[in-house]
Amino acid sequence: MQLLVIQRILGILLMLFSVAMLPPMLVSIIYADGSLAPFLYAFAVSLITGILFWLPVKSRKQDLRLRDGFIIVVLFWSVLGLFGALPFALADQPSLSVMDAIFESVSGLTTTGATVLTSIDTLPKAILFYRQQLQWLGGMGIIVLAIAIMPMLGIGGMQLYRAESPGPVKDTKLTPRITETAKALWYIYLTLTLVCATAYWVAGMNLFDAISHSFSTIAIGGYSTHDASMGYFIDKPLIELVAIIFMLLSGVNFSLHFTAWRHRSIAGYFYDSEFKAYLIILLVVGVITTVYLDFKGVFDSTGQTIITSIFQTVSIGTTTGFTTHQYHLWPGFLPVLLLFTSFIGGCAGSTAGGMKVIRFVMLLKQGRREVLRVIHPNASIPIKLGGKPVSNRILDAVWGFFAAYVALFSIMLLLLMLDGLDQITAFSAVAACMNNLGPGLGEVGFNYAALSDSAKAILSFAMLLGRLEIFTLLVLFTPAFWRN
Amino acid sequence: MRISLIQKIMGLFLILYSVTLIPPIYISLLYQDGELVHFLLSIGLTLLAGMVLWLPVRNFRTNIQNRDGFIIVAMFWVVLGLLSALPFLFGTHLSITDAFFESVSAFTTTGATIFTGLDTLPQSILFYRQQLQWFGGMGVIVLAIAILPMLGIGGMQLYRAETPGPFKDEKIAPRITHCARSFWLIYTVMTLACAAAYWLAGMSLFDALAHSLSTISTGGFSTHDASLAYFNSPAIELIAVVFMILGGTNFGIHYYVLLRGRPLMYWRDIEVRIYLILIGLFSLLVAAELFRTHYHNDFISALRFSLFQTVSVITTTGYVTEDFSSWPDFTPSLLFLVSFIGGCAGSTAGGIKVIRFIIMFKQSGRDLTELVHPAMEKPIKIAGRVLPERIIDAVWGYFSLYVASFAAIMLLLMADGMDQVTAFSSVATSINNFGPGLGEVTANFKSITTESKWVLAFAMLLGRLEIFTLLVIFTPSFWRK
Repeated sequence: MQLLVIQRILGILLMLFSVAMLPPMLVSIIYADGSLAPFLYAFAVSLITGILFWLPVKSRKQDLRLRDGFIIVVLFWSVLGLFGALPFALADQPSLSVMDAIFESVSGLTTTGATVLTSIDTLPKAILFYRQQLQWLGGMGIIVLAIAIMPMLGIGGMQLYRAESPGPVKDTKLTPRITETAKALWYIYLTLTLVCATAYWVAGMNLFDAISHSFSTIAIGGYSTHDASMGYFIDKPLIELVAIIFMLLSGVNFSLHFTAWRHRSIAGYFYDSEFKAYLIILLVVGVITTVYLDFKGVFDSTGQTIITSIFQTVSIGTTTGFTTHQYHLWPGFLPVLLLFTSFIGGCAGSTAGGMKVIRFVMLLKQGRREVLRVIHPNASIPIKLGGKPVSNRILDAVWGFFAAYVALFSIMLLLLMLDGLDQITAFSAVAACMNNLGPGLGEVGFNYAALSDSAKAILSFAMLLGRLEIFTLLVLFTPAFWRN
Repeated sequence: MRISLIQKIMGLFLILYSVTLIPPIYISLLYQDGELVHFLLSIGLTLLAGMVLWLPVRNFRTNIQNRDGFIIVAMFWVVLGLLSALPFLFGTHLSITDAFFESVSAFTTTGATIFTGLDTLPQSILFYRQQLQWFGGMGVIVLAIAILPMLGIGGMQLYRAETPGPFKDEKIAPRITHCARSFWLIYTVMTLACAAAYWLAGMSLFDALAHSLSTISTGGFSTHDASLAYFNSPAIELIAVVFMILGGTNFGIHYYVLLRGRPLMYWRDIEVRIYLILIGLFSLLVAAELFRTHYHNDFISALRFSLFQTVSVITTTGYVTEDFSSWPDFTPSLLFLVSFIGGCAGSTAGGIKVIRFIIMFKQSGRDLTELVHPAMEKPIKIAGRVLPERIIDAVWGYFSLYVASFAAIMLLLMADGMDQVTAFSSVATSINNFGPGLGEVTANFKSITTESKWVLAFAMLLGRLEIFTLLVIFTPSFWRK
């Protein structure tokens, strides 16, 4: 452990993060909404803390090692989650408790999109913008986390991508690789956001809404500037279409975008088995949803049934969490089916949450292999992805990931019920937070304001757990990690 | 696939099975409850069906192979499930669906029931239900100890070489014969001991016998609507606890202890040890919660009910001494999650089985260590022996198929109109072969739709046959040459 190096990096991160307070200040000035002060304070506190961390150790420069990587990643999300809560905690409107502020900020940074705020439409513009921006920044972090750091740390089988990631860096040092990759991917991320914002604007949003929603769309976050979420724009179907397209794009592995952009060709998408599975899953769930809604006659016109089903399937399947309709009140098994779909989530290396399509594909292939092995006990059946056999170590890691996911899900479910929630609310709240989805069912269908502080703390932890793919966080709690 | 062979075996099964209808006939005569005709009719039909199957192919002789094994096992449970529904159909005028549900629930030792007003049912029908569970338990033991390891289901090949006795060859028939002899002896002796203990503790002879049949088989049917709460006797509850625990223990270990005189095996075997520890832990946790929320005001009575319910749940028996679905906050859900753990492999209990959890836990621990030390190669050991990768893979595959089946069946029931809590608990209770549920199905399964009953009966079979045995038959490659 190189504590001083970690301290230095954390200091730099905080100083950088303080800059994130400047755009909301600008928004506050433009709209004269009177919420300048909280951002000013938050800016100062973050900057000064950052400098205090950084100054004493500013000349410490060493290569990072594996273990430092785990700590930095965990600290990155938890410390920024805390400092990101400052504006919420300091603002007069909304007046949030400290726990609420932390919940809101963690939910933002992890791109979950679960909110404790009500009457969002009446909040100061700067606060609204800040929430959206938190998700966008969180998404930026996730891209780097998912494409550069996770494969390096070997979390839950993600070493699969170790050699495949774009860029010329295949050595084992963390820093150069991350810088390289980050630059390339952030360009894509930024471009997507700009195009998305323009499309929203053309489709009929005002400029503020267009930019805000583009942030939370590309980050697969799901925060909105309206209580009704995307339902606010229900009379402009074009907006729904734009949202569907960009949610779909953001749920794709950014390495694929990178390859497509560099080779100026989209052929790469269709060679990728994860991408294909991703589309198939969403298609199947979308069709089931459409047919069932049509059968139950929830909407008057078939057109509306189709667009709403697709929108809601994509939004939940990619773990965005936008809603155009109160899906938690849909009949029968649909709400639960959609929640289950969010467990699959988007592709690895995207801003989406959930267990990731690639792991799901590997689980399916292995399940199939086990069935075949039962019939042919002596056959040797390799698991292949894209024509290449996958090593046993990676497969084991995927199983471990799946089991840890299920186990932690159950434990947190019980904890929430211990806290007094009913089964449906507890079940959906844990699912929605762990999968970084956002809205749940039952009591948390709209927002999480009514929950107790302890429930909010558990759920904030669940969001971090999901975002950090469980093992990054869990590994810190093992004795082996701290032993020399 | 040799159809004639399978036909012959099924025929033999049915002929043998018809004999089991004699005890209820005797009971019916004894109590004069008017069910005699119905049982005679059932025995006749079963015998007839058996003869029709068996006679044409009685001279067919060949060794059973793996693939035949899958079919026979699946047919055994399905066909006997169907035929043993006959007395319910004739005697109690249940619909075909209800009768099938009841008999599958009995045969798979689940214990979910359609009946209300058990106390007023004819004695012979009551006895018949209990007896079905007992025979189901017998089938399960052979399945779990001899057949599943042979077929290599969900990592159970772990026990292939370990099973006591001289049968390490690959032929199924001699192995099963041997297994049946020694384990059924243990099973029967335990049942008699249990019945005697119940009787001494104050049950009537009929109740003692009837309950002993569903205790050792971890089935959970009772002759009273109130289940074991009817007796309200700590002594009876304690006896039930002990024998449920025994029923949920690997019968291979019983073999060592009882027939080879090595009592320490109970503690030395890692699975039994963890199983006992889990029972202790969960009982204390539930008791603490009952005490904390003032559901019970003294800790001893909280512990009395929590111990009984925890044991009943983890062994997937399904007896109740208190309506645990109305216990405070998370306890009902916790108990349902505990039923997923289940008892030991090689026992009559359902669920995923303790040994699989131990293997998964060890593997996850290794994964965490390997994150910190990527270059390290650490093998997973059970009882000092390195576990082959193949078995670990099989356990993972089993677990994920279990979870997937659970989710799929739950969605199906909700599509049929069931609410989430009822759907969750009734799938859990069926696939784990447990018995009681939450919500609409807390007391019995009478009110759910016909389709749901068939789906749940399927879930019980799925759980009992450890998923793969049943699923494998639905794959194209099983039928390919």
